[in-house]
Amino acid sequence: MVYLDEMPEGPRNMIVNQELPDYEETRCVGGPPLSDRKIAIVTTAGLHRREDKHFTPGVGEYRIIPNEIDMDELIMSHVSTNFDRTGFYQDVNLVLPVERLKELSTEGQIGELSEYHYSFMGATPPAALAAVAEDLAKTLQNDGVNGVVLAGV
Amino acid sequence: MGGLAHYIEGAGIPTVVISLIRRHTEVMKPPRGLFVPFELGRPFGAANEPNFQRRVLLDALKMLERTDGPILEDFPDTPPDTGIAEDITGWTCPVTLNGPNPDLSDMAKIILGLKQEVALLAPWYDETLKTMKGRRLDGLTTLSKEGIVDFLMAFVEDQSVASIVEGENLIRSLKLAADDLRHYYYQAAMAKPGIKSDVELGDWFYGETLAGWLFIKIRDIMLNSDDKDMKVAGRTNYVPNAMLKHVVQ
Repeated sequence: MVYLDEMPEGPRNMIVNQELPDYEETRCVGGPPLSDRKIAIVTTAGLHRREDKHFTPGVGEYRIIPNEIDMDELIMSHVSTNFDRTGFYQDVNLVLPVERLKELSTEGQIGELSEYHYSFMGATPPAALAAVAEDLAKTLQNDGVNGVVLAGV
Repeated sequence: MGGLAHYIEGAGIPTVVISLIRRHTEVMKPPRGLFVPFELGRPFGAANEPNFQRRVLLDALKMLERTDGPILEDFPDTPPDTGIAEDITGWTCPVTLNGPNPDLSDMAKIILGLKQEVALLAPWYDETLKTMKGRRLDGLTTLSKEGIVDFLMAFVEDQSVASIVEGENLIRSLKLAADDLRHYYYQAAMAKPGIKSDVELGDWFYGETLAGWLFIKIRDIMLNSDDKDMKVAGRTNYVPNAMLKHVVQ
């Protein structure tokens, strides 16, 4: 298991107590009820299609994951060795729950899914992500997305 | 992840973070965060548990309607029991491998041993491909598994070896090739029924296989390198923290 509580103290402290940047408070943006929202998922699992370029450590970049591809085609080039991959091996929805999102859309709990989801590689310095994340935000806005679930690993 | 939330929400799009490390979210204060008490690598709790995954996702989505941030909520439940505890006991790899502690005086024998491991695992890898409906986790490179063995062992013998992954430097190409090999071993080992935990597979890989020995060897070589980037890669790229118990100090 890769529960933090079960890790040896030294390695656990390296992960938990790593130096993190300070951010000014970002005001929460409002929006319509969930049932009217268009939702995208952004993962930092380093997922991409087999033919996509691998992630490069330290570089702010993302890969596009179209809604309608076979999610079982996704592979993971995340550099870290310190998280469980066996769950992802068995079920991609554990990391990128597009199937769950489709179900919620069918039921009317959300308005619709975004045509695209996005993957970054965690372990990238947040400052290196600023420009590319702000650029992604413009894309999301142009696509009418008004709700983003950010899921780390 | 917290940083992405600030950038995206700051540009006008509501976000919610699924957090696996509570302190990180406490410090970075994204507009909305849902802490989940799950394993690292499992943000939606458990594989093949759609109802549980859906609960996590829906709890996070509902937070999008709130504007009283920064909010940090705690998901109340641990993942459902998937029977892992029973399956761990007595789990063994489908095939018996040679194991680590090779005779370092004969690199040719080590290479042969590694390739024998790869061959022994092949039918089990194929079996897992069938049960996973063709899904495979390797493929980060186009190298054959035997080609990966040759490449990684060439590095062990001579650290000035050239990268053989197009467009990638040596450090990254070694990592991609090594991950391809590890995915192959793990996917083969998962052929036996029952869910294997990451630690269980890791103990087998790093404790009982020549490939695990090779990963530890590459780590040692990199840690002793004068190259700063190689030292970092040695520290982080080959042996998970939980598997350092297999490294002879």
